[in-house]
Amino acid sequence: MEWVVFTVLAVWLLVSAGGVLFAKHPVHVVLFFLSALLAMAALFLSLGAELLAGIQLLIYAAAIVVFYVLVITTVPWEKLKEFEGAYRRELLFGLPVALMAFGAFAYLIAKGEFAAPKGQVTDAVRELAKTLFTSYLFPFEVASLILLVAMIGAILLGRREG
Amino acid sequence: MERELIESLLFTVLKVLVVVPVALGVGAYLTWFERKLAGHIQNRMGPTVVGPFGLLQPLADALKLATKESVIPRGADRPVYYLAILLALVPSVLLLALIPWGPAFELGGRVIKPIISDVNVALLLAFAFGSLSVYGTIFSGWASNSKYAFIGSMRKAAVVIAYEVVLGFSVLGVVLLAGTLSTVGIVQAQIERGVWFILYQPVAFVLYMFCMLAESGRVPFDVQEAEAELVTGYNVEYGGMKFGAFPLAEWYLNVIALSAIAVVLFFGGWSGPSILGPLSPYFWFLVKTFGLVFFTMWLHWTLPRFQAKDITDVAWKILLPVAIANVVVTAVVKYFF
Repeated sequence: MEWVVFTVLAVWLLVSAGGVLFAKHPVHVVLFFLSALLAMAALFLSLGAELLAGIQLLIYAAAIVVFYVLVITTVPWEKLKEFEGAYRRELLFGLPVALMAFGAFAYLIAKGEFAAPKGQVTDAVRELAKTLFTSYLFPFEVASLILLVAMIGAILLGRREG
Repeated sequence: MERELIESLLFTVLKVLVVVPVALGVGAYLTWFERKLAGHIQNRMGPTVVGPFGLLQPLADALKLATKESVIPRGADRPVYYLAILLALVPSVLLLALIPWGPAFELGGRVIKPIISDVNVALLLAFAFGSLSVYGTIFSGWASNSKYAFIGSMRKAAVVIAYEVVLGFSVLGVVLLAGTLSTVGIVQAQIERGVWFILYQPVAFVLYMFCMLAESGRVPFDVQEAEAELVTGYNVEYGGMKFGAFPLAEWYLNVIALSAIAVVLFFGGWSGPSILGPLSPYFWFLVKTFGLVFFTMWLHWTLPRFQAKDITDVAWKILLPVAIANVVVTAVVKYFF
């Protein structure tokens, strides 16, 4: 039974990711991106990671994509330059990197071991909060500092008056 | 294992088949209720012609909407135009899955929970669905290729971004008190203490009501509709049943679901004196929910509308600091007492 659910979700995710890469119109790209995030959340749910699914929906699918949408829908795209086929030079530099990354991932998947659930977690929220605020407190705080710096930078860039 | 899975799947499908048609029907009939209410508030009669007390009016409306000519504006993005209807309806319907209508009971040796999906992060999912519904609004306005519709969409997006943050912080107080994010767990925490959380968290309740009105686009936060300036805003280019879907999702289903979640958070869910035997929990839950729905409609037909800039101003500069202060005070009080 589980593989049916997984296959459906995986195909949904891959199709959405393909759409993000190949759709022409930026708004369609954002819609495919949204669809990919929803598929990801569904995958988390099917794996029993309810908290991750909820966070994925709330933070990524709702909060972050809304900002993408706000920006992209307000840009007058018809006035911008049309897309003129593949970017040759970028492809020349990008392809080796992509191939190497693919090779590395393929090696990891073929040789490595997948993470397996370590015992049954009854209250995921409590467990996550405990690890986040004890073992991983420092990285957590550093991450929020980085976000704060990014926010200040964005406000500085967005200010009209010099 | 296989049999258990199929059985639980079957039960879930049954629950969905009970809850969703009933909610859609009630949503449609709320239009009648709202028109009657608006009529009496404005010293009119409301619908009276179709059926006794105008009770068949929603059916007549549905027939009218279903038989209307379908007009799509030139230059509209057709796939997105249709997709927007789904994007508006689906999150509102999904919200219904997280509402506990009553306590678990036993039937033929099997425990049945009157909630479609009892996940332990239900509140988180509820807010996620609540904010996902903004895409219906944004994309319907964008895909219509119309200025008025698009202005409505942008206003709604700004409102939702602001109030989603306030909403999250406002309910944290309740979550701290109950110690769980599950809707069933929060109701049980209130029943065990014999107190409704509105007594401990009055500030959070007021904030929640603000956010509920903003998220469902009700007066005084209905800048995305703004009949006077935007001629109903984001859905102005939709006709027939395509038009009907938007108010159904935003004004009715969303209000029902968010009221039900407010009842879970602040009014003790299904708790109440047992006056109808085994049916009384459902009775109390529905009475409390419709009390809040009624309150929302009452506000809708008596208050004027805020200006668009004031709405976001209030959210970021007043409501959010108050909500954060509420969380801090609750946490400190809970830690020491």
